[in-house]
Amino acid sequence: MTPAISVTGLTRRYPGQVALDDVHLTIGTGTITGLLGRNGAGKTTLLRILAGQEFPSSGSVRVFGSPPAENENVLRRLVLVREDQVYPDFKVSHALRAASFCYPNWDTGLASSLLEDFGLRANKAIKSLSRGQRSALGITIGLAARAEVTLFDEPYTGLDAVARQVFYDRLLAEYADFPRTVVLSTHLIDEAAALFENVVVIDRGRVVLDAAADGLRGMVTTVSGPVLAVDSFTKGRPVWERRGLGSQASVVIVGQISGEDRERARSLGLDLTPLSLQQLVVHTSGGQVGAGSLTGRTSA
Amino acid sequence: MIKVARYQLVTPVMFLGLPWAALAAVFAVNAAQGGGGNFRGGLAVMFLLFFVTGVQRIGRWLPFGLALGATRRSFYAGTALLGVSMSLASGLVIAGLQAIERATGGWGLSITFFRVPYLLDGPWYATWLTSFVGLSALFVYGMWYGIVNRRWGTLGLLAFIAVQVLVALAVTFACSRAGVGPLRLRPAGAYPATLSALELTGVIAALAVVCLAGGHATIRRVTV
Repeated sequence: MTPAISVTGLTRRYPGQVALDDVHLTIGTGTITGLLGRNGAGKTTLLRILAGQEFPSSGSVRVFGSPPAENENVLRRLVLVREDQVYPDFKVSHALRAASFCYPNWDTGLASSLLEDFGLRANKAIKSLSRGQRSALGITIGLAARAEVTLFDEPYTGLDAVARQVFYDRLLAEYADFPRTVVLSTHLIDEAAALFENVVVIDRGRVVLDAAADGLRGMVTTVSGPVLAVDSFTKGRPVWERRGLGSQASVVIVGQISGEDRERARSLGLDLTPLSLQQLVVHTSGGQVGAGSLTGRTSA
Repeated sequence: MIKVARYQLVTPVMFLGLPWAALAAVFAVNAAQGGGGNFRGGLAVMFLLFFVTGVQRIGRWLPFGLALGATRRSFYAGTALLGVSMSLASGLVIAGLQAIERATGGWGLSITFFRVPYLLDGPWYATWLTSFVGLSALFVYGMWYGIVNRRWGTLGLLAFIAVQVLVALAVTFACSRAGVGPLRLRPAGAYPATLSALELTGVIAALAVVCLAGGHATIRRVTV
């Protein structure tokens, strides 16, 4: 089966900067993928290239098996919601009407109901919207388009916690009713972690982690306790980070923890704390540690 | 392409009504000041607004157009087609208003508003053709400006203007050297010596085609 998105050797250079550096990535149809990384890591550039809004310097990009750039057959099946979207000088209702012309699966009822959920008035001029309201408009377009590939780039900047929860709930409900391929770039990692089936972490233009979310859960653990006990427990295991404070130590190890391991840790007086997705991203980004042992899609 | 045209017309008043509203305002000022039979250039505001609309239709409308899945090619073709269609209709209205102005002796006030000496002063079909070509040319010229600005920013725009000034100077110099003098003015009438209004319309049409091709070539690598 042709993957929804397939990227091979993708590089994007700007003067004095490499935004994407030899990126390889495959995203299957009907999945929700979290695209994570620091500011300037290359997430937005990748999404813009996938949506045909930017051009690669080299490499190959395929959406449903075809290059997206200037390809109407691909682009009408894809929507990109950007936090920095520039709108013409018109009203919310105009933006929704324009979107309804362009997407064959557009659902007007859903758009109206989302506007209601977000408390957004259709007759309001877009230039007078707050940042959060503009985000709500983007989310409304992204979900109501019911495009087969839906790309969200930091879609909820400025949205309050209640509105973000509305987004998560509606995204999951929509995904269940009308399965599609969703890529969600976000900095609110732990908040959105439960949505992700796959996780891709980009750092300085390179993919440093590409794994199934289920496979990551419990894959990296912090072991803390007396130095000698920690050393004994972690001996022979891949270590990402080691910190010591007097007679206490805290070590981040990679690998599943078995029931037997837990028993042993308890007997040694050690605490085992699985790393959250956000902590994992912090560790894999910024060159703190290599994520070699996690790279490559990990099976659930 | 049709989707792009529908997108551009999602606020039809902004697209279709603004140039005519501005023209009506200028006409009202002219009428209030009284005619006197002299042409004061008020109709130029219409042509200027077509240029501005062309610029705007790229700067503000292209990013969301591409976000809605339009290709650059279809966005350009759809927008240009709409601009040319609007020029065609507006040219016809100008020709009609000119006929009324002529028949009523300048709206009963000796106003010369829609009769532009030399350029729009012939039969109705010539006025239609010339104004259609002029409005279309300015619209696509404006689009090209908008595209250059979107692709290369302010510096690119300045370079674009500089190149045009150099080309215009080179053409003027070459014509002067060859003794053709299409831009040479007659001292008495101050009209071009060697081109009729329809011939000038042909030159503007050729320039419009150049702008259309230039805009198309420039938009192909625009990013948003």
